[in-house]
Amino acid sequence: MSNEKKKKRLSPRKKKDTLTAYAFISPWIIGFACFTLFPIFFMLQVSLTNRKLNGISKFIGFKNYMNMFKSPAFWNSIKVTLLFTIIMVIVTTVWAVIMALLLNQKQRLNGIFQFCYFLPSVIPSVALAYAFRTIFGKEAGLLNAFLSLVSGKNVSVNWLYNHSTVYMAVFFITLFTYNTGQMMLIFRSGLSDVPGELYEACDLDGAGAFRKFFSVTLPMISPLVLFNAVNGCVSALNGSFALLYPLTGESGNPDGMTQVLSLLIYKEAFSNMKVGYACALSVLLFLLAALFGTALFSLSKKFVYYEN
Amino acid sequence: MKSVKAKQRLNSCILYLIKIIVAVIMFLPIIWISTGGFKTLTEFTSSPNIIPENFTMENFSYIFKSSNIWVYVRNTVLLMLGTTVGTLLSSSLVAYPLARMDFVGKNVIFTIIIATMMIPNIALIIPQYIMFGKIGWLDSLLPMIVPAFFAYPYNVFLFRQFFRTIPRELDESATIDGCSRVQIFFKVLVPLSKPTYATIAVLSCVFWWNELTQPVFYINSDQWRTMTIALMTSYMYTSGNAFVINWPSIMAAATLMIVPPMLLYFFGNKFLVGGIKTTGLKG
Repeated sequence: MSNEKKKKRLSPRKKKDTLTAYAFISPWIIGFACFTLFPIFFMLQVSLTNRKLNGISKFIGFKNYMNMFKSPAFWNSIKVTLLFTIIMVIVTTVWAVIMALLLNQKQRLNGIFQFCYFLPSVIPSVALAYAFRTIFGKEAGLLNAFLSLVSGKNVSVNWLYNHSTVYMAVFFITLFTYNTGQMMLIFRSGLSDVPGELYEACDLDGAGAFRKFFSVTLPMISPLVLFNAVNGCVSALNGSFALLYPLTGESGNPDGMTQVLSLLIYKEAFSNMKVGYACALSVLLFLLAALFGTALFSLSKKFVYYEN
Repeated sequence: MKSVKAKQRLNSCILYLIKIIVAVIMFLPIIWISTGGFKTLTEFTSSPNIIPENFTMENFSYIFKSSNIWVYVRNTVLLMLGTTVGTLLSSSLVAYPLARMDFVGKNVIFTIIIATMMIPNIALIIPQYIMFGKIGWLDSLLPMIVPAFFAYPYNVFLFRQFFRTIPRELDESATIDGCSRVQIFFKVLVPLSKPTYATIAVLSCVFWWNELTQPVFYINSDQWRTMTIALMTSYMYTSGNAFVINWPSIMAAATLMIVPPMLLYFFGNKFLVGGIKTTGLKG
């Protein structure tokens, strides 16, 4: 059937449509060629040179890659990037689902609650980072003051500089990022599309709230969970720079524990002026993103429920 | 019967309680930032009070007097408007045939667009930096505004999802009335898609108003600095050998920065949930 269709010559209408369609799509094609495809090849090329920030460069083969694989800072940042991305996606997605579920319970004042839940995501990441540097600060920090009040003891932890607390603090801050708010909105609109009859059927069967969530809500919004997870991965790889650069600096204090790959790229390119090496790191970041994308899509085939 | 009602009452109370706790957590940084702007530097660095003891306006007057804040505001507004106008125009044009027409190579193109959605910007920023340097665009807003006119995959995707929910019969009847594809787009689809245009405009404005990464890479000089970079670099000074961060001034500037996105949110609120169409995701 499909073979037969293919052999048929294109109908005049489809031929005309194809031309019109490509006219409409042309901005993207140009943009894709200039701002995505060309930089990819250019990046591969520069990664084989010892290019400096001032533009002087010489072909050095795979030396950048060899140096990279020998560098402990590189392996550390790969580890941090993987950890940061995976945990951030999980934490922010779960939090966004919780907020969307709460807002989905129709009660009075929901408008105010939605305002409160969404508003933090419009704070610029710099402001968020600076606010939490002081909230989590050792002296005059809000968290220490609160804990001292509750426990009755004098708590003075430098949350962002302490090896055992830094991750907790950073992941807590990710709850307030732009991405979380956007995810919440998408889940909100998805939840309102879940047919009410399904819940009524649950009520008849006497299912509890948890049962309802896991057998009706979650399967119905699973395509959105996938969409948000994919998007969240990209945002985590991308947005980690805007959050961590003002929060813990380009070296990822303490001791590189928060130095994700993007911070290392920035440091190598602009502080150490090794643009060639930074390009080699960028290639790795690119591959890492591809890995995450493929992993999520193959997972989705197993777990995501599609209607029909 | 009574116990069921009492139980519902209790449930509703618990729900309110949880909602309020979540709201307090989410609102905390905003309260901290906005009250911080009214504290003196000594108070900010020595006490964790939320309500300032000595209420002062000096941070706000400092911002307006001793920094180029109007230049930063101008740059940020230019950046925000340029990118938003660009992406609304180009992304909706590109999304139209993907949602409405049958043409050769449609699936290939759509797959590439989805795949490019997953490339983080930051992975390509170094080659782009060199590239923009070669054509002399560094230290200006052009490296951020110009690409916006060539469609962002994510926004293309959102537009496509929405266009697909508009009944195709409208196109067909317009065709019978003698409309061309271009006319259908401008006369049928655009007016019906206002919520999506509003949603993407709000999201894009908020994103670019707050964007730090790309300006940090592309902008050097003070005259093209955006507010986000200024927030990071302009409120520090050296006193003797020590490096002093003027925290309350940063908080005051941050407070001012939060206001426009907040207003945008108020304005766009009614579109935000309806504008993101997700129905098409399921199939």
